[in-house]
Amino acid sequence: MNNETTTNQPVSFTTQTQYPLPSQKFMIPTTWRRYHLSQLVNKALGLEKSIPFDFLVRGEILRSTLSEWCAEHGVGEEETLEIEYIESVLPPQKMSEFPHESWVSSVSCGLSSHFLTGAYDGYLRAFDLSQNVILNAPLHTAPITSFAILPSENTTDMDGNTTYTVVTASHDLTAQISEITLPAIGSASSSKVLASLHLHTAPVSSIAARGTQLLTSSWDGLIGLWDTSIPASDEVPEPESVGAERKKRRKIQKDEAKPKRKAPVSVLKSHMGRVSKVSWTSASTAASCGFDSTVRLWDVENSLCTRTISASEKPFLDFAITPNGQSALAVSTDRSMTMYDLRITDLSAATASFMHPATPSCVAVSQDPASHQVVTGAYDGVVRVWDVRSTKAAVAVFKAWGGDGKKILSVDWQRDVVAVGGEGGMDVWKVQGGAGAGPEIQVNNVKKPSA
Amino acid sequence: MANPNPKKTSVKRKHTEKDDAPAVAPVTLKLSGLEMLTDDEDGDDYNPEDDTDDGEVDEFPEIDAASDSEEDDEDGDDEDEDESLSEDEEDEEEEEEGSTEEDSEVESDYHIFPKAKTVISDITGQPKKVYPEIEPDYDSDSSTEEATNRVGDVPMHWYDDMPHIGYDINGKRVLRPARGDELDKFLATVDDPSAWTSAFDKTSQEEKPLSSEELDIIKRLYAGENPDENYDPYEPMVEWFTGKGKEEIMPLSAAPEPKRRWVRSKWEKQKIMKIVRAIRAGRIVGQKPKTTSKYEVYSIWSSEPSTSAPPALPAPKRALPTNAESYNPPEEYLMTEGERKEWESKDAEDRERDFMPQKFTSLRLVPAYDQFIKERFNRQLDLYLAPRIQRTKLNIDPTSLIPKLPSPSSLRPFPNYKSLNIRHPKGRARCVSISPDGNWAASGDEDGVVSLWEVNVGCEVKRWKFEGKIGSIEWAPRQDVSYFAVGVEEAIHFLIPPNVDSTTLAQTHALLAPSALPSAGPTPSPVKWTSTSVSSWSNDKPILSLTLPPSSGVPTQLQWHKKGDYFASVSTGGATQNAVWIHQLSKRHSQAPFRKIKGAVQLVLFHPTMPHFFVATQQYVRLYNLAEQKLIKTLMPGIRWISCMDVHPSGDHLIVGGYDRKLCWFDLELSEKPYKVLKYHSRAIRSLHFHPKYPLFASASDDGSIQIFHSRVYNDLMTDPLIVPLKILRGHQITDGLGVLQVKWNPKQPWLASAGADGTVAVWCS
Repeated sequence: MNNETTTNQPVSFTTQTQYPLPSQKFMIPTTWRRYHLSQLVNKALGLEKSIPFDFLVRGEILRSTLSEWCAEHGVGEEETLEIEYIESVLPPQKMSEFPHESWVSSVSCGLSSHFLTGAYDGYLRAFDLSQNVILNAPLHTAPITSFAILPSENTTDMDGNTTYTVVTASHDLTAQISEITLPAIGSASSSKVLASLHLHTAPVSSIAARGTQLLTSSWDGLIGLWDTSIPASDEVPEPESVGAERKKRRKIQKDEAKPKRKAPVSVLKSHMGRVSKVSWTSASTAASCGFDSTVRLWDVENSLCTRTISASEKPFLDFAITPNGQSALAVSTDRSMTMYDLRITDLSAATASFMHPATPSCVAVSQDPASHQVVTGAYDGVVRVWDVRSTKAAVAVFKAWGGDGKKILSVDWQRDVVAVGGEGGMDVWKVQGGAGAGPEIQVNNVKKPSA
Repeated sequence: MANPNPKKTSVKRKHTEKDDAPAVAPVTLKLSGLEMLTDDEDGDDYNPEDDTDDGEVDEFPEIDAASDSEEDDEDGDDEDEDESLSEDEEDEEEEEEGSTEEDSEVESDYHIFPKAKTVISDITGQPKKVYPEIEPDYDSDSSTEEATNRVGDVPMHWYDDMPHIGYDINGKRVLRPARGDELDKFLATVDDPSAWTSAFDKTSQEEKPLSSEELDIIKRLYAGENPDENYDPYEPMVEWFTGKGKEEIMPLSAAPEPKRRWVRSKWEKQKIMKIVRAIRAGRIVGQKPKTTSKYEVYSIWSSEPSTSAPPALPAPKRALPTNAESYNPPEEYLMTEGERKEWESKDAEDRERDFMPQKFTSLRLVPAYDQFIKERFNRQLDLYLAPRIQRTKLNIDPTSLIPKLPSPSSLRPFPNYKSLNIRHPKGRARCVSISPDGNWAASGDEDGVVSLWEVNVGCEVKRWKFEGKIGSIEWAPRQDVSYFAVGVEEAIHFLIPPNVDSTTLAQTHALLAPSALPSAGPTPSPVKWTSTSVSSWSNDKPILSLTLPPSSGVPTQLQWHKKGDYFASVSTGGATQNAVWIHQLSKRHSQAPFRKIKGAVQLVLFHPTMPHFFVATQQYVRLYNLAEQKLIKTLMPGIRWISCMDVHPSGDHLIVGGYDRKLCWFDLELSEKPYKVLKYHSRAIRSLHFHPKYPLFASASDDGSIQIFHSRVYNDLMTDPLIVPLKILRGHQITDGLGVLQVKWNPKQPWLASAGADGTVAVWCS
């Protein structure tokens, strides 16, 4: 630092993390990089355990020296730079790999000790942390597009078997409510379809559950609202145009616990095209996005579309609501992820745009309310971790399945774990999202063949 | 006549002396007298006079003048009062004269005129001259003494043959004096000292000596002086305006500036005010503007003719001469020997300059310009013959000639990147079709595999395997049923995708495998329709199969009518001539629309709105009216081998592509010739497709690229269609010289599916 040519740049630091610095101007040598700045902040804070920080200069993560950045942006030496520091994202680490024979359309790491996947072969699979398949349930004959775990209805019996209620959406135009039992160790798992939801005339694209209510979205542009109660009898009659053989079979199966055919509580109609994703935002409100380039907010109780955010020629594939509920991040086929502010009611709600080199198919946000991070999976097999404050480049990038360009169809991010599902099966990565320390997950990198 | 004149002059001279008369007048008199003197001929009497004067030639004799007689009238003029007195005075004068000049004998002998006497006048008290009384006798006038020739002013040669030379006053002949011969003349010059001062008098026809007076005049004339002896060239200057007391002080007048010089004239003011008042009162009216007569008179020649003809062109100006054209140019401008030779060897037209610089030491040595006439002539020729056209120089920016096309970014959306890739590992992907709802795509390859996949994700959900190549796949355009037709070797199969809504499925079943088969048509068709019964049907099997006549080849094109009841199939590669079939699903009937057709049919198309049918042979596209069963028109694209065509959803425009890389855009209402011919692919065009919703069309080529065009068609007939090239999509590999074999648009989105010879089917998204 005693270099004669070293020039100093006035800098003030801001942060939204829990480590604020007193507002004060620092004279920083322009040869400094992120590492030096991070050390400076750590020293100034006097932290016992050093925390790596990343630095955002005008919405851009500092990747070079300060002088290079200044030269690139034409900032003079006398201008005070306001630098925001965020906790650095450690390079994501691959935790385990779960190969599948078919494409995985939906993943969940919401359960503390299990990973669930729904695949294009119609199977719902459950894995334990040692990559063993503990459940392989052929719930559908057609590809499962999406599934959700009902939050409150898991019970654990004396053997340690845990029973969950899972709802799945499929290409076979129905969604199903199923009960799966995940055994503790050794014992067999079981699954049972409780009811099938009949509304849609096109493949069901997504399903969302909250409390006792379900929302399904379909390619036919409808969103169905359901409850989770299992009716005693079929609410929807069996189609009649099937052959006599079927009738016979039905008779045979009648004794068995045949899934009851459920009808929706209400139907939310507003989308002009395929609805690609529906999601709850609160107990009575929901949001959906579709190929008609809209993100719609719903008042579920009254079946009303409260707000429509229209974009131009952006068929949306997926969206996610930030934990604070203030903005939505929607990915579209024009290779962009757009952030929409849900609080603003005028048309120009788009606040930021994140460009991808390939079609981003799925998006997930960190559940930490303080976090600003979001992951997207794209058809080029790359998962990108974004900080919504830095639109230019992703904070971290990692390639699923060794990076051979297999499509990613689904991501899920719970705590520090990002599950990636797609053409190559499922990958689980450790991505340090927010500050909150997730549950300790035994990382077992030993690869085992799946069952 | 000679005598009185000298007397006169002498009198005059006296008179001038006495009266201070100006000296000029006597000179003229004397001159005239001299002339007359030369003509005088009476030299007899004067000769002795002259002799006496001889010794004093140089001194002018005063005596002559005094001896001149005074005429009466002159004296009378001077002094009329003293007539009586003057007699006495004259006498006295005479006496004085005599006393003063006693020496001269001549004076005494020839006392011609009485001398004047100076007496004191009694009246005035002043001295005055008094002349003696003249006696009026015969001799009183000396002039009469001489017998002069009075012949007058006649040419004397009249008397040449006469003995006399004239007549005297009495009418007597004056005889010719004797004239000596040349010897006498010579002797006279020797003997007579006055001979050289004598002159020949014509009147008297003899030599007469010149008087001293005349000699003096001659002498003066000879000396170039004024002949008047009294003329004084050196008279003292009379100072009229200079000298003491006569100085002129400038300015000429010292009077103060008069007031009128700087005070306005009151009179003029009054005069002007009078006019002003008159103008105000209207008594004076300004001049009326000149009334322009109907025919304006103008000078024809004075000004330029004011016509609408373009102004006369100025002749080109000659270039100014340069140093080389100088008569004495600097050395460097002179030609070297080589240059000179080269200059001389060239033709005059080829020479760089039409002259040769030459050096002369001085301008005097410069010869006349030898080319002058020629050059003038050429210049005239040039002015006269050279066509002079006033050219307005067109400043055309070459970029402005390029048609204004909107930028592609303003014409979004259009596909611009490859989103998905679906592999057909075993063969070329020959055909692809997207379901009318835009969700599913079916692609077929040459290995016989038909793959059904989700357009958006690209995950294959179903696969069928047939024997032989898949030639074509086409989804039925209806929304209420869901199936697609696959053309394989000599057969067309109908497949129902899985996961179809039950009502749709039932309708599809009812359509394709009706329980009650319609009655067979009157004419049995060679095409067999075979349905699988619904009970035995599964997704893996085609529900309906059409068996085309044997050896008809692969149906390379299936074309649905918009309503989904009819479809046409074109088979190529077969042996049979008749390759076109129109099938009707509701009647389960196939018919060949053409009994006989010229050329091999390549493609067929249903018109989207009218019962028209396009049939493309190798070089022509024919448009038939199916209802009336007649040919409407023949389009001539000028393509050697048509490979593909598509009709705009409005039905008014047709694009035709060929293996010779051309793409022709036809406006069907305009002409049978293409409205536009585009040639932009480097290899054969394989497939064309109009987007049913967006103003887009795509063309696929063997060069492995797909080109996307914006093609806006306007409703008004006046506006030409707008065709803008938007994007070249590259991504397909060329295998075996084949590139992209088919392109199809997603009917709901601006997405494109393309089947390539490299075994991949790609989806291009916006």
